[in-house]
Amino acid sequence: MPPSRAFPRYLLPFAMAAAAAARAQEPGETIEVQGERRQGSPRAPAAAATVVDMAQFGGEVRSVAEMLSTAPGVSIHALGGPGQTATLSLRGASGDQSLVLLDGIPLQGPGGGAVDLSTLPATILDRMVVSRGVLGAQFGAGALGGVLELLPRSARGSWTGGAEASVGSFGTERLALDAAMPAGNGSALIALQGDRTSGNFEYARQLTPEIAGSPYYGFTRENGDATRGSGLLRISQELSGDLGLDLLLQGSAGVRGLPGASSAPTPRSREFDADGVAGVRLRGSSGDATWSVRASGRLDRSELRGVLAFGDCEDGTPDCPRQDQRSSSARAEGELALPAGEANSLRFLLSGGGEWVHGTTGAHRRGLLSAAVRDDLALGAGFSLHPALRLDKVGTQTGLSPGITAQWKPAPEHPLSLRAGWGLSYRAPTFTELYLERGGIAANPDLRPERAWSVDAGAEWRLALLTLSATAFWSSYRELILYQLFPPARVKPFNVGKARIAGVELQAVVPLPAHLLATVSYSLLDAVNRADGHKLAYRPPHRLFVRLARRGDRLEGYGEASFTSAIPRNAFDTAFVDSQLLLNAGIGVRAAGPLWVDVEAKNLLDKRTYEDLFQYPLPGLSIALIARARL
Amino acid sequence: MKRIALLLLVAACGGTYQAPPPVASIALPDGSQLKPYDPAQPGQARPQGLAQAAGRVYVTLTNQRDGNPNPVNAGPGFLAAFVPSTGAITLIDLGGSDGKQCQNPGSVRTSADGYLYANCSGNFSGTDGSRAIVEVDPLANAVRRRAAIPNGRVPNGVAVTATRIWTGNAFTTTVFSIDRTTLAADPTPPVPVDCPKTVFNYVADVMTIGGDVYALCGSDISGELYRLDPDTGAVKAHVTVGPNPTELAGLDDGRIVVVNAGDNTLTVVNPTASGLDARTALTFVSGTSALQDVRAFGRTVFTVASGSNTAQRIDLAAQGGAKVVAEANFGENAGPWNILPLDDTQAIVSNRGTNTIAAANWVTVK
Repeated sequence: MPPSRAFPRYLLPFAMAAAAAARAQEPGETIEVQGERRQGSPRAPAAAATVVDMAQFGGEVRSVAEMLSTAPGVSIHALGGPGQTATLSLRGASGDQSLVLLDGIPLQGPGGGAVDLSTLPATILDRMVVSRGVLGAQFGAGALGGVLELLPRSARGSWTGGAEASVGSFGTERLALDAAMPAGNGSALIALQGDRTSGNFEYARQLTPEIAGSPYYGFTRENGDATRGSGLLRISQELSGDLGLDLLLQGSAGVRGLPGASSAPTPRSREFDADGVAGVRLRGSSGDATWSVRASGRLDRSELRGVLAFGDCEDGTPDCPRQDQRSSSARAEGELALPAGEANSLRFLLSGGGEWVHGTTGAHRRGLLSAAVRDDLALGAGFSLHPALRLDKVGTQTGLSPGITAQWKPAPEHPLSLRAGWGLSYRAPTFTELYLERGGIAANPDLRPERAWSVDAGAEWRLALLTLSATAFWSSYRELILYQLFPPARVKPFNVGKARIAGVELQAVVPLPAHLLATVSYSLLDAVNRADGHKLAYRPPHRLFVRLARRGDRLEGYGEASFTSAIPRNAFDTAFVDSQLLLNAGIGVRAAGPLWVDVEAKNLLDKRTYEDLFQYPLPGLSIALIARARL
Repeated sequence: MKRIALLLLVAACGGTYQAPPPVASIALPDGSQLKPYDPAQPGQARPQGLAQAAGRVYVTLTNQRDGNPNPVNAGPGFLAAFVPSTGAITLIDLGGSDGKQCQNPGSVRTSADGYLYANCSGNFSGTDGSRAIVEVDPLANAVRRRAAIPNGRVPNGVAVTATRIWTGNAFTTTVFSIDRTTLAADPTPPVPVDCPKTVFNYVADVMTIGGDVYALCGSDISGELYRLDPDTGAVKAHVTVGPNPTELAGLDDGRIVVVNAGDNTLTVVNPTASGLDARTALTFVSGTSALQDVRAFGRTVFTVASGSNTAQRIDLAAQGGAKVVAEANFGENAGPWNILPLDDTQAIVSNRGTNTIAAANWVTVK
């Protein structure tokens, strides 16, 4: 039976009733006004940054990856469809070259590399901060393209709670619950999210693409289902005086089909994964100094079943072994912020720990040691300077990451600010690159760290809700680790790449009449392989995102367009992923009390011919119905 | 020889040769028919090279089973002989008495005197005893002789001349020869046929065209076509083609075509008195991926791309330049590896993914 595109028929009466209720209440409507837009990361003052506030996507079924793709300088490498692997690329860097932190705790994939954003539950987050540039000095080795900080919902001192349920096309469903409450001398928050999708959308492709005008044939995506459960627990306690204790536990587990590329589907391949993060932090202050010590750990497990180098196989047969990969890390860190005069503040950080991996890569471990110092200098006349230096030892590889950012504001309340930054850092090879021998992938234990530096400068005009910003950057990479074909039939990573990536990032957030808010972001990326002058594959030269949203007390809605220009798909400028234009829209009403009902449509043009970077098909029109309430 | 004579006859009469239509799909043997070393773990045909001889078509069967990380040689290499219009198959065991004297056969080529030669690459270790060049008598459906390969070399491609068999080395950018009389590797040092690389380079294939031997060096960033003396291997000329070239073929006017998987292009090479002249004749569309093979019938060029499961028929003399005039798709996971034109419109492919021989069902430009 073909999958249903329309949202479930039994929910239609509820949606219509809700709309009628909203119309009746229109005259007395009050409009929710957003507060001051939040600044970037406190760990990287004056760095180019974008804050993605989850609240602005209320009433929309959004993954972390979808929300991130609204920010300039961000592109998502996705393997097609809901629930499937998606990794982050900042300023043209690969997923391995950007750090992802959950409440300050570094996340990694099971092989020590790119984080799969599809495993991160969106509804337990409060906001995301995307800081762009080589930021190893501020965040640690590995931050070559930038850093994504995931900031989970915070516990509050009173009882609050919320629930969200959605159903939509391709059997996609989500249920999310959260509750915050007083607890002891502090507060606690628990949040849960469950997602599932059949993922069996229809798509179309040409079987004979060389023949102009040859027909498109329809297919149904198979083995694209995904089921995931996630949870978050945060407890915050004030112990005595200036002493406080914070606890964070986050976990996620899922199973999904790995459907494969459109020309080579893999109906028998499955992936099971589970991960958990735990952190406990003791914080305090003494005079003007503040300090914190923290212990954190992370566990990841991923098991592939029915997966071969080139295709799938029958799980459980002798030539089809399960591929189990587990990684973990633990670290302790202490941080001290020490004012040194009225215009000077020093921050020191010391951390140590280790990370382990075992499974398909064999068993390996390496130590982690970091020491960092940062100075925040107010120089007068509106100038501030933020030099930083960090030493990271990852296994046997040690590197120094210096960086500096500067900012000028004519006056503290003046809307104009100018900023600039420079950074130099490195990325140690991941366990996957060093040791993973799986399918068509070969390991290379002789890899050296990648190195990069970048410089950027920008201007921002910020006045209440109005924000206009422009940033230009230039970055240079060397010793890039690239997977290359390795005869007879494998790929293997080598330190062979050197690249120059330059670009421009523009963003405008403009309040309009009728309580509308317009957001426009544009990214220009010029990524060049310095060895031969060809463009780097998989980097979109142009990305434009436009969104018009209205948030009100009784009526909300949005419309948005996302355009991505043709993307090079090989290393010789001769194969491209076609340009893509996606239109999404949604509308919602407050049906009764705190209950909101929204209807959302994605890919309104019903383009079923789009594919992602790796020729995985993308879904056409999908419709979702969302009900949510917050007390 | 029969085919050439037939072609000459047809040309003399001013007509166009048309082969009997091939059957749509021929399932290749599997399971016990492929004599697995372990009956519990049989291989699959995984067909590759195609050649014509004695009125039949021959395809190499690598006889591998899926393995991790690489496919495993599950039994001896085979040649499967068949008539495309009927599909009946005769298997020729290349493995010898112990079943291990030829594993993983890749290319198969016909000599001017009607014998078939196939290169057996073994397990790509470069030291196993299953590496060989085997000589097959198509009339007897049997292996006549077998040439052992010196250690450290993995044969890739076969070019047969009157006195020698040339093969490339999958490990290095060299070619070496085997004496056709003794079927022993010549003691002379291998001939370098290098091309610039960042990560890897190797000899993608060798072929006899117009009396000379041509060797194709492929790398991750470049490709180079070498023209060699058929007796000594001395380099007569060489020219740069596209990156990561995978195969070459000769046209009946002396030109040579090369498919380049790196940049998705077709190069046409024109032998001149002073050397070789190469130009990019065609860039395939982005939807065509992993070009694996090129063959020619007269001046019509046929290519195959395993990533997109497609084959193309190309008119080099089309107005405005070379153009794909017909294309066929062999279905999901087909993995077409090699192509064999039967005439200037019909062709069959070996589908490594689905273990079939399939006729191209062309979609043409309107």
